[in-house]
Amino acid sequence: MNYMELLGALAPEAIVVLTALVALAVDLLVLRQAPQNARQVVAVSITAVGILAAIIALSVAAPSPPWMDGLLINHSTTAFLKQTLLVLALVAGILSIQSRFTQHTGEYVTLLLLSTVGMMLLVSSDNLLLMFVALELTSLPLYVLTAFNKESPSSSEASLKYFLIGSLSAACLLFGISLLYGLSGGITWTQLATTLRAGSEPIVYLALILTLIGFAFKVAAAPFHLWAPDVYQGAPTPVAAFIASGSKIASFYMFARIFMAALPGTAGSAAWSGATPGWVPLVAALAVVSMILGNVAAIAQRSVKRLLAYSAIGHAGYALLAILSNTEQGMGSLLYYVVTYAVTAMGAFAVVNVIERDVQAPNGESLTDFAGLSRRSPLLSLCLLVFVLSLAGIPPLAGFFGKFYIFIATAQSGTSQGLIWLVMLAIGTSAISLYYYLQILKQVYVVESVGQPTPVQLRPAESACIVAMACTVLILGCAPNWLINRFSPNSTEVRRAGVITKPSTTLELAAEIHPRITAPLGTATGLVQKRPQFETTTANAQ
Amino acid sequence: MEHDAVQHAVQSGSKIQDLAWLVLFLPLLGSVMAWFITRRDRVLTTVFTLGTVILSFILSVTLFAVFGAASAECTPFQFLHIGDLKVDIGLHLDALSTLMLLVVTGVASLVMIFSTSYMHDDASYSRFFCTLGLFVFSMLGIVLANNFVMMFVFWELVGVSSYLLIGFWFERPAAGDAAKKAFLSNRLGDFGFILGILMVWSAVGSVNFQEIQASLIKNPAAMGVWAGLAGLLVFMGAMGKSAQFPLHVWLPDAMEGPTPVSALIHAATMVAAGVYMLCRVFFIYTVPAGWPPALSFLGDLSAATVVAWIGGITALLAALTAVQQNDIKRILAYSTLSQLGYMVMAVGLGASTGNPSASMFHLFTHAFFKAMLFLGAGSVIHACHHEQDIWRMGGLWKKMPVTFWTFAIGTAALAGLPPFSGFYSKDEILATALEANPILCGLAVLVACLTTFYMCRLVLVAFFGTTRTESAEHAHESPRSMTIPLMFLAVPSVVAGWFPVGEFIAGHFGVRSHEGVGRVVAQEGIGPMLTMILGGIDHALFAPFNHNALAAFLGLFGVLLGGSAAWALYWNQARDPLPGLFTNLSRAMRKKFYFDEIYDSVFIPIHDTVACIMAWFDRWIIDGLGVRGIHGTIEIVGRALRLVQTGNLQTYAFLFAAGVAFLAFIALQ
Repeated sequence: MNYMELLGALAPEAIVVLTALVALAVDLLVLRQAPQNARQVVAVSITAVGILAAIIALSVAAPSPPWMDGLLINHSTTAFLKQTLLVLALVAGILSIQSRFTQHTGEYVTLLLLSTVGMMLLVSSDNLLLMFVALELTSLPLYVLTAFNKESPSSSEASLKYFLIGSLSAACLLFGISLLYGLSGGITWTQLATTLRAGSEPIVYLALILTLIGFAFKVAAAPFHLWAPDVYQGAPTPVAAFIASGSKIASFYMFARIFMAALPGTAGSAAWSGATPGWVPLVAALAVVSMILGNVAAIAQRSVKRLLAYSAIGHAGYALLAILSNTEQGMGSLLYYVVTYAVTAMGAFAVVNVIERDVQAPNGESLTDFAGLSRRSPLLSLCLLVFVLSLAGIPPLAGFFGKFYIFIATAQSGTSQGLIWLVMLAIGTSAISLYYYLQILKQVYVVESVGQPTPVQLRPAESACIVAMACTVLILGCAPNWLINRFSPNSTEVRRAGVITKPSTTLELAAEIHPRITAPLGTATGLVQKRPQFETTTANAQ
Repeated sequence: MEHDAVQHAVQSGSKIQDLAWLVLFLPLLGSVMAWFITRRDRVLTTVFTLGTVILSFILSVTLFAVFGAASAECTPFQFLHIGDLKVDIGLHLDALSTLMLLVVTGVASLVMIFSTSYMHDDASYSRFFCTLGLFVFSMLGIVLANNFVMMFVFWELVGVSSYLLIGFWFERPAAGDAAKKAFLSNRLGDFGFILGILMVWSAVGSVNFQEIQASLIKNPAAMGVWAGLAGLLVFMGAMGKSAQFPLHVWLPDAMEGPTPVSALIHAATMVAAGVYMLCRVFFIYTVPAGWPPALSFLGDLSAATVVAWIGGITALLAALTAVQQNDIKRILAYSTLSQLGYMVMAVGLGASTGNPSASMFHLFTHAFFKAMLFLGAGSVIHACHHEQDIWRMGGLWKKMPVTFWTFAIGTAALAGLPPFSGFYSKDEILATALEANPILCGLAVLVACLTTFYMCRLVLVAFFGTTRTESAEHAHESPRSMTIPLMFLAVPSVVAGWFPVGEFIAGHFGVRSHEGVGRVVAQEGIGPMLTMILGGIDHALFAPFNHNALAAFLGLFGVLLGGSAAWALYWNQARDPLPGLFTNLSRAMRKKFYFDEIYDSVFIPIHDTVACIMAWFDRWIIDGLGVRGIHGTIEIVGRALRLVQTGNLQTYAFLFAAGVAFLAFIALQ
C-alpha cells in the first residue's frame, strides 16, 4: 500500500478539492471588494478550469484494481459517471452566474464542489464506511446550499426540513449499516455477499429496511419523498437542479450496487404470484407508491419547480424498477436512465432559472409565468419542448429509451413474466404523466402572455448550456447504443463493480471477483449460521 | 410464404432497395433545411419541402415499379443491442410498404401543392410546411419500419407532428384543446401498443417482423396464452391512431387544424397507419387464440373477432353521427371514422381466411377520394370566407364547377357507386364479410346505405338549392393551385378500383383466392400487369359481379336506398327536415351520442379528484396548519422554531416512521 499510488488513484477528487479551496481563497482574499458579477465570473471560471482538469485526469487514468478490498474502485463506468457529475456541477455553476440570491460567491462554489467530491467518492466505493462518509459529504453541503437564498424564507425553511429529515434518514442508514456489519462481520461487498442469506434471521429484514430508507430518502422515493417538493421549490434553482441531477446519479448508482452486489442472497422476489420476502419486494413497494403518487400529484401543481419535483418522484419509481430487476441488464438500464434523466432535469431547471430571473416574482415562478414563451423566446421554448417531451417519454428522445430499456430489463428478469404487473403499472402511469407535461407545453405554446411579449434575456454561456443539453437529449435518444455500450453488461469491469446475474451463482461470482474470499470466512463472527454447502462452494471456486 | 420465391430474384440484384433510405429521409432533410436556412423566404421554403416530397414520390414510383410484390430488406443499422433485445434501424420493402409509399408521398405532394395557395396568407407559412415535411418523414418511417420498436418510435413522432399540426392555429383555444385531446387519446392507445410489443417480444423473442412471422409459421402456438392479450394490446395502438371506438373522440375535434392537414393526416395517411400496422403484423392475429388463466373464460374468442366487432361498431356509430352534422368538415370527419371502421373490420374478418387484402384495398382507394373530398371542402370553405356550415351555403355548383364535379366524383366513390373506385374496394369488404360473418355483413350494408345518405345530403344542401347567405352568394372558383390537385386526385378516385390492388396485396399474404391479374403481378412484376389491365379492363370493371354477385348487389342496394332517401328529404330544402321526423334520435346523433359528455362527466372528474386528493395530501403534510400564510414577515429563526413547534416537522417525522412501518409490513408479511 503506497500512499502516492492512492493519491494517484484519487487525483480527480484531489483536483476538485484543490479547486474548491482556490476558488474560496481567491474570492475571499483578492476579490472582496470587486463587483458581484465579476466575482461570480471568476469563481465559475476557476471551477471550469478545475473541472476540466479533473475530467482529463479521469479520461487518461488507466483502470486500476480495487484498493483495499474495494474501499476504492476505479473503472470505466465510475470514470464516466464521475465525468458526468463534474459536467453537471459545472452547468449548475454557470447557471448561478448573474443570479442574485447570494453575496457569498466563494462559499457557494466551494460547497458545490465539495458536494461533487462526495458524489464522486460515492460512485467509487465498495465499502460501507466510505459509502456513509461520502453520502454525508454529499448531503451536508447540499443542506447549506439549499438555505443560500437568505432573502427567501422558503429557502431556509426548505433547508431546515431537508436537514432534519436527512439526519433522520442518515441515522436509519447508519443503524442499518451497523446491523449489516453485526450480521456479517464485514464491511465490504464481498464479505456481505458471502454471508447474508434471506430467511435466516428476522433481523436481516430490519437491516435491509433501515438501509433501504437511507437511500429511498436520497433518491426521493415515496413515502420518503416529503422533502423533495419543498426543497425543489425553496432552494435556489441551480442548487435544485444539482440536487435533481447529480445527487440522483450518485445515489442511485450506490443504491443499486449495495443491494445488487452486497446483498444478493437476500433479494427475494416481487412476482405477482409467488412473491418471497427480501429487498426486492420492498423496492417494488417503494416503486409502486412513487410512480402513482409522483405522477398523479404532479397534475395539481401550479409551480413548475414543484411539478418537476413530483415528476422526479415518479421517475425515481421507474428507476427503482431497474434496481429490483436485479440483473446486469437492470444495472445498465438504471445507469442509462439516471444519466439521461439528470441531463434532462438539469435542462428543464435551467429554463426555469431563466424564467424565474425574468419574472422576478417574490414567491418564485408559477406555471402561468411560462405563458406565451414561444413568442418571447422560440429557442428556449424549443429546448423546453425537448426536455419536457423527453421526461414524458416520447421517442426518439432519450427519456423514451431510458424507460423502454427499464421495461425490457424488468419484464425479462422475473420468471415467466412475473414482474409484468410492475411494467404495466409503469407504462400506465407514464401515460398519465403526459397530461401534466402537456400543461407546461400548453402554457408555452398556446396561452397568450400577459401584456406585450418582450424577448427573454439570455446570456451566451447559459443558452449554450441549454442548447447543448437539448442536443444531448436528442442525440442520446437517436443513438442510445453509444451510451448503453458504456454500461454494457458484457464488460468485465461492470462485473467487477459487482453486478451479479443470478443470485444462485453469487458465491462463484464473488470468488471470481475477489480471490481472497477466504478471509471473511475465517473472520465471520456474524449472527448468521453458515450453511455447510457454503464452504464447499467457495472451496471449489478457489 | 410465396413471396420467398420472388425474394431471391431481388436480393441477387443490385442494392437498389437502399433508395428507400432516400425516400424516408428526403422529407426530413427538406424540412430541416427549410427551417434553419430559408425560413424567412416562402418560395425557397416551398421549394425545399415540396421539392423533397415530390422527389420522394418519384423514388417511390421507381421502387414500386422495380419491386412490385417482391420483398427486400435494406441494410440495417445497429441501433440498440441489449441482451436478447436486438433493435436495428432497417427498412422493409414488400407489396404492403411499396403500395403505402405511393399513397403517402403521392397524396402528400398534392396536398402540399394545394396548401401553397390555401395557406398563402398565413403568417406561419414556413412553420406549416416544415411541420408537414416532418409529418411525411414520420409517416414514411411507420410504413418502412422492419421492426416493432422502430415502428413505435415513428408512431409517436407521427403523434407529435400531428399534435403540432392540429394545434397549428394555436391562437384558437379550441385548436389547442383539440391537439391535446388527440395526443392524449393516442397516448392511451400507445400504452397498450408498447405493452403489446413487450408481450410479443417476451413470447417470441424478437421484435423484427420477418423473424416473428418466421417463428410463428414454424410454431403457431409460440405465443401460447399471450396470443389473445398481445393481439388486443397491439390493436389498442391502432385504436388510438385510427380513431376506433371508444378512442374515436379526438378525430372530429382534430378538424380544428387547417383543412389541408385534415386532408392529409386525418383522412389519407395518419389515421390509416393503424390499419396498415394491423396488416403489417397480421400474423399475430392468425395464431390460435389463447388467454392467461385469469382470462380463460374468454375461451376460443380470438383477438381478431374483437377487432372486427370494434371496427363494425365504429363504422355504424360514426355513420349515424354523420347524418346529423352540419359542419362540412365534421361530416367528412365522421365519414372517415366510419370508413376506418370498415377497414378495421375487414382486417378482423380477414383473419379467418388469412387475407386482410380488402382493408388495404379500401385504404388505398379511400386515401384518394377522401383527400379529394377534404381538399374540395377546403376549396368551398376558402370560397365562402371560412364558412363551414352547409346550411349557410347552397347553389354552389354553378359558381365552382371544378370543385363541384370533383366533389361529386368523391361522393360517388365514397358511396360506392360503380364504376368509381370506392365500389370495388367496398365490395371486397362486403364479400369478405359475407363469407366470414353475415351479421357484420348486414351491418356493413347498413353503413353503406347511411354513407350514401349523408354524403348526398351534404352535396344536395351545399351545392344545390338556393343560395342562402351573403358569403355563398359571392363565392367563386378557387385558384389553379387548388383546383389542379383536385383534378389530379379525381383520376385515381375513379380508376383506382380497376386495378387489382386487392389481389396484389392478397399475393403478399400468400393467398391466391381467384385467378387474375394479381397473380401475374406477384409472379412476373408490374410490366405484365399493365398489359393485362389494358387488355382486360372490361374484366376488371365487372370483377365484383363475377366474383361474388350477392355482395355486389347488396352494396348497390344500400347505395340506391340511401341515395333516394336523401333525394326525397333534402332536394331543395332550406332547413333540415330530419329533427322534425325523429326528434330524439336526431338530437342524439347531433350530440355525437354524447361521447364527449360521458367522457367529460366520468373520466375527467375522477382524474381531477384523484389528483387533488393526492396533492392535498401532500400539501397538508408540507404546508401544515401553522405554516400557511407566513411569507417572510417573521424572523427566520423564529420561523424555524415555530416550524418545529407547530408540529409540521413532527408530521414529517411521523410520516417517515409510518413509511418505515409500511416497509416492515411488506417485509414481514
